[in-house]
Parts: sequence; C-alpha cells; structure tokens
Amino acid sequence: MSYTYKNDYEGSDIKLEPAVKDISLQVEAGSYTAILGPNGSGKSTFAKLVDILETADSGELEVFGVNTKDEDGFWDIRENCSYIFQNPDNQIVGTIVEEDVAFGPENIGVKLPELRERVDKALEYVGLKDKAKMQAAQLSGGQKQKLAIAGALAMKPKLLIMDESTAMLDPKSRDEFLAIIDKMQKEQGLTVLTITHDMTEASACEKIFVIEKGRIVAEGKPEEIFLDPEKVRRAGLELPEHISLITELARLQRVKLTKEDLVSRSSCLIKAAEIACSPVKATAKELTAARREEVDPDDIILRIKDLTYRYEKGAPTILEGIDLDVRRGEILAIAGRSGCGKTTLISHLNGLIAPVEGSVEIYPEEGVTISSKVKKDKSLFRKNVGLVFQYPEYQLFEETVYKDIEYGLKMNKTPEDKRKELVLKAAKSVGLDEDKLESNPFELSGGQKRRAAIAGVIAMDPKILVLDEPASGLDPRGRREMFSLIKNLKKQGTTVILVSHNMDEVARYADRVCYMEGGKLIRVGTPEEVFGEDNNIPKPLLYDFAYDVRSEIEKRKGYKMDFGPVGRNAVEEAVNILTAVLDHEEASVDA
Amino acid sequence: MLKDISLGKFIDTGSVLHRTDPRVKIVMYIVYLVVLFMVKSPAAIIAAAVVTLIQAVSAKIPPKVLWTSILPILPLALFIFILNLFAAKDGDVVFKWSKIVVTSRGLWQGTIMASRLIFLIISTSVLLTLTTTPLKISDALESLCGWMKVIKVPVHEMAMMMSIALRFIPTLIEETDKIMKAQISRGADYDTGTVISRVKGYITVLIPLFVASFKHAEELAVAMDARCYRGGEGRTKLNPLKMTGRDLVAGGILLAGAAVILVIEFVIH
Repeated sequence: MSYTYKNDYEGSDIKLEPAVKDISLQVEAGSYTAILGPNGSGKSTFAKLVDILETADSGELEVFGVNTKDEDGFWDIRENCSYIFQNPDNQIVGTIVEEDVAFGPENIGVKLPELRERVDKALEYVGLKDKAKMQAAQLSGGQKQKLAIAGALAMKPKLLIMDESTAMLDPKSRDEFLAIIDKMQKEQGLTVLTITHDMTEASACEKIFVIEKGRIVAEGKPEEIFLDPEKVRRAGLELPEHISLITELARLQRVKLTKEDLVSRSSCLIKAAEIACSPVKATAKELTAARREEVDPDDIILRIKDLTYRYEKGAPTILEGIDLDVRRGEILAIAGRSGCGKTTLISHLNGLIAPVEGSVEIYPEEGVTISSKVKKDKSLFRKNVGLVFQYPEYQLFEETVYKDIEYGLKMNKTPEDKRKELVLKAAKSVGLDEDKLESNPFELSGGQKRRAAIAGVIAMDPKILVLDEPASGLDPRGRREMFSLIKNLKKQGTTVILVSHNMDEVARYADRVCYMEGGKLIRVGTPEEVFGEDNNIPKPLLYDFAYDVRSEIEKRKGYKMDFGPVGRNAVEEAVNILTAVLDHEEASVDA
Repeated sequence: MLKDISLGKFIDTGSVLHRTDPRVKIVMYIVYLVVLFMVKSPAAIIAAAVVTLIQAVSAKIPPKVLWTSILPILPLALFIFILNLFAAKDGDVVFKWSKIVVTSRGLWQGTIMASRLIFLIISTSVLLTLTTTPLKISDALESLCGWMKVIKVPVHEMAMMMSIALRFIPTLIEETDKIMKAQISRGADYDTGTVISRVKGYITVLIPLFVASFKHAEELAVAMDARCYRGGEGRTKLNPLKMTGRDLVAGGILLAGAAVILVIEFVIH
C-alpha cells in the first residue's frame, strides 16, 4: 500500500517482562483493530505503551512515525492519541459535562474561541448537547461513556484506544456507543484500537490480534481468527453468536468452512442456509435434542405481590405493580436496561428495602411462610435469601479469604465448630482452592476475588441466591466458569435469581426470564417464549441470526417450515434447524 | 439519606448569582461570614435574615433543595440553642421549673447562635456550592491565591486537588451506599448495638472504601495523563474568569447587604 502518512505506526519487538513479551505488530492508519485476550494477558499494558503511559524496557515502538523513546515527540504522540477506559467514573475530571470535555484541549493549550467550538461540536456529535451544563455525576453509565468519547473527540485525535470501554454498558447503550465510534472512524479517518471481550464487536473489526500471556498468539482478519474454533477457545475466547451457529451447522453437516464464508454476517447467513439445505449428513444420535430438566411450576419459593416503590411520597415510581412467582430450584433471570429497576427489585428480596406497597413472601420449606409484612422476620429473610451485588469483590475487607467468607456466619451467630465446615463447603462450591483461604483477598486475581466474595454469601447457606450481574467485567472464559458455577448451585438445590443485561447469556442459562422496563415487569416466561414472540424486548444475537437463517432456508426451499423455538445455544439451534429440514424432506418424500 | 448531602452539589438555575464571578462570591462570602459573627442585636439578626433570604431568592434555588441542605444541620442548631438557653443566668426570668431557669437573655442568645449557624449554611450553599461549580470555586481560589505562587506555594496543584476531591464526593457517597448494602446483606448491623461495636462495624465499610478510593485515584491519574494533563503551565480555560462591570455591581450589592446589617448592629443599637 502506498500509505506514507505520518500516522502509520510500526511497532517491533516490544519487550516488557512479564506483561508484554516480544510483540511485533503493525497497525495501519485509518483501520479498526481489535486486541483480544483473557484478563491479565497484557492487552492494556500494550495499549498504554502506545500512548506512552508506560515505556517499554526494550524494543522500539513508533506511533505516527515518531519513536516513543524520542523525547521531542512525546507530546506529539499523546496529543494525537485518545484513550477511553472501562470505568466511566474514573476518567471524568470535570464536575460539569462541558468542563470535562474541555479538560483535554485545555491541557494542550487550545485557545478560545476554538476551544468553545471544539467542546460544542464534540458534545453535539455524541448527542449530549442538551446536557452540557449538567453535573457529570448525574449522567447514566451509557451517557458517561459518550461523554468520554466527546472528551476524546475534542482532542482531534488520530488514534483512539478503547480499553474495554463497552464492558459496563447495556446492549442498547453499547450499540449507540459503537455507532458513534464507527461514524468517527469512517468520517474522520480515525484509527481505532479496541481492547474487548465482546466477540461480536471484534468480528466487525478489520484486524484482530490475540494476546495471551503477553505474546501475540494469533493475528489476522476476523474471519481468519474465527475459522479455528479450537484455537479461539484455547485462547480463552469464544466465537461470536452468528459464527458459532454456522460452525455448528458445518460440523454436523461435515462441511469445511472457508474464511470467505465468515467474511461478514450476510456471507455467514447465505452459507449457513446453503449448508442446512444440502442433504442432511448428521446422524440421528447427533440430532437428538438435549433434554431439559423441568421444575415444578406450582412449587413456589418466593412470591412478589403488587410491589410498588418510590423514593418518597409523590416521587416517580421506581417499581410499579410487580407480581412475580419464583419457582423452587429454577434459575430466573431478571433482564432489562440499566436503570429499569432491576437492582431496586432485588434489594426488596432480602429486606434491604422494606416494601411500602405490596409484599414479598418466601416459603423456604414446606409450610413455612416468611412475609415482609412481619417486621421481626427481617433477619429470616437475610438468612434465606443471599444477595450478591455487582462487583462483589469491592466489599472484601478481612485480612484473609477465610475470615472474609466466615464474616456472615459470625454475624448470624453460627456456632464456631460449624463455621469451618460451612466456609470450606462454600469455598469448594465456588471453586476456590483451599490453599488460597489463608491468603489476603487483595492478592487474588480479579476472578478469584469475585469467587471469594460470592463464597461469603453462599457460606450462609441461603435457599435463594440473588446475583446482580455476576459475570460483568470477566473475560469469556471467566464468564463461562461463572455460569457453570451457577448451574452447579442449581444442581445442589439452590434457587438462583440473576440480573443480567446480556440477552444471549440469559437465553443460554436461565430457565425463565423476566423482562423489566421503566420499573414495570413487561413479560415473564421461558427464554423461548419471551424472545420468540414479536415484542419490543431486545433479542439475543443468536435469535436474530437464527431467524434470518431460518427464513433464508425457507426462501431456498420455497415453503414454510416448522422450526419450533430457537435453541438455547448454537449447538441446540443447529440441531433444531437440521431436524426441521429433515422432517420436511421426509414429509415431502412420503407425500 | 447519604445522597441528600448538598456539599459539592451544583444546581444550574441560570440566576444572576450563578453568573457572577466566583471570586466576587468568595470574597463576599468571607465578608458576610465575618459580619454574621459580629451580629448580636435582634434587629440586626432580622436584617441578616432578610439579606440571606434575598440572596437565596436571587439564586432561584428551589426551597426544597435549600431545605435539604439545612436539614442535616438542624439537630446541631437545636443543640446550640438549648445549650445557650440554659447557659445564661442573667436577664429576666421567662420560665422556671424547680432548678431549670430560662432567662430572656438565654432565649436571645440561643436564638442568635442558632440563626447564625443556619444563615451561615444557607449562605454557603447559595453563594458557593449550589451556584458555583467546584471547578469554578477552585479556579477562583487559584486566581485569588495566585500571588502565593511567588513564595512557591503550589496553588494550581492544590486547586486541582480540591476540585477533584469535590468531583468525587457523589461517586464515593454512592459507593459507600453500595458497600453498606452489601455488608448489611451479609448480616452487618450499623444501627443497633453498643457504640464500640458500631464503630467496629464501620471497618467493614471503610476498608473497601479505601481500596476503592485508591483504585479511583490510580485510574484517574492515568486517565488525566492520557488527556495530556501537565500541570497549570500553558493551560487554557473553557470558561476563563472575567471580571466585568456587572460582577462589580453584584459585589457592590452584596457588600451593601453586609453593610446594612453592620449599620443596624452598631449605629442603631
């Protein structure tokens, strides 16, 4: 290519023990590149090297043609690089929205009136113009991340680095955020470098680098990377939902996919339909649908009746007329956008908030009823309903993991001889090694800290466990492990209520879903019911793609088919599709 | 409860006071503070009440917001009132019941002390926190204390520290709330028990809060670096402080209010 712009950067042989090792890579100006890898693999360290927030021990790194070791070029590089971090709260400096946007340009000495113009334009670009004079603290999470983009945009950067910037956003906010970035990249020729755990986001990039233990273990176009599912899994990643489905179809039909098949969503769609329409090669054994254990629909463990909540009399309602039955032994997901009242609802479940209108009742055992209306039963609520908040690792405080897990037991006056047994049992069920119990909780890795914190709640042996976004901030492998932990708890007889805004995970792991919007319960049912209907509830990506594949198959076959509900994961859905195709073929042969 | 603290909360109503140069507001605030503590006579207290009220009205702050900022201080005001009520022994006896004697002087002293405190809080909110963004307050302080740079006082850095501290108050309050809820779910009890056990209980909040604060500080420092922060040298300002005729007039009016109180205090009495 004949790109000889200054803003090409070439890195070769960066060496940093142990975070980043012998990395050599090149990113083209104006490209959209993703860096993937498990937590702690050195992705962020690499990105910080680019913005000279860290300096390499050895090796050379050139950004915009300037060597990062060249002291004269230091500010040149920094001014042209903008960085958006994961936690919006930790990158907002100004109290007022427009003051924060101005912070960067002020630092590099942009003078009025240009400064004002940059700030106004940036805010308009991200759609926060009307909030310019508001307090930044009053913005929602999604708005705060847009504010961070505005702050970056006002710097007129050539390179934008995003470090898990969408990790804390709900799907709609994430889509809005990515749309702005996409627009900036296309309209302004911005080079984008994104660090992400979101595989769908990565599949839309032009190039992917996979980093593991500080080394680049794979690089290439998304279709090249995702062509090898084994390698993807080994690196602790996963396939995007649409590629996951086509890969399963190909496996069942003994078809070998090429990278051209995976170039885009639409190419995947066409190929998937083609594979499904070819003679069915999958064996009958492979096509038996996985059986699901049913829970007794009449065995209720928790009942919410007409629950309404507002901060004070006359204030707008946060929750409105919630009626919900939770079945014994099920995994119930509460889904909805940020700010829809999910957290307020679960705070009612163990008496953190006492219901003012309506009630919450639990039936931990046959014939036992504990009602929120009986004030003295509050401690019984706490005993039976364990509540794990989002980022529970931020509540650890004891000197050792053991003591931290034990804390709740100490507080509810469990006899000392019984405590040890419960602590060990809890540690085991979250998969925490016994030798970790005597270490300081702050020395553990992020995922282990979270396990320790969850163990602290499980130790109290609650009948119902409520988890608020248990997988947030974890990498794909960590998420998988977290959900298998939750499934294990279910197996041991615990009823699990989990809050999540990731619809694909909800569809994959929950027995039932309840979707909330604006403090109201919109719909309760199995994932097949809730996501299978024509409603305004955001669909899992797998559903979107599966429906497209199904109608493409029907178009090719020329008749309507009965596919049944969408499967909970790509494997199930591939089986569903092929079974339907097979059934129709047999039916037409018979006819 | 924690969320109601008005410190560091700015509410934009676009009033004259909002637009007034923060330096004028800070200087006049100090003047007003001194005047309030000189006031002793009933007439002057009434004058102070009127002046404070005029300030509040001109700031267009909703009475409810004002009320929430006074509310936390009311128990203290009441305490001061009662303390003064019984402390003074001279003057006419207003009320007597066995050993408890309330004199007119005590009544006055209590009223004056309590009102002073309340006026003080209103003025702090109206002249500073509610009408001036923390960044502007620190800008103003930086400008007012600019001369100290000569004697090597790091004025810019201190102002930056202050504005960041104020910026993080809502974040930390929210976090405290979350941590407390989590610990309560695990059986922590912050409301009952002996004083010692309650203080001990707060360790379960303080340690996670400290850890979180360090994390905030660390990440914020990197974010500021990434946004090219390099101290006060060569920095421009989106909203530079500009003293206009209007600001001087506003200052003059505020000064006049203070003067009226003083005149009533010293000349009329």
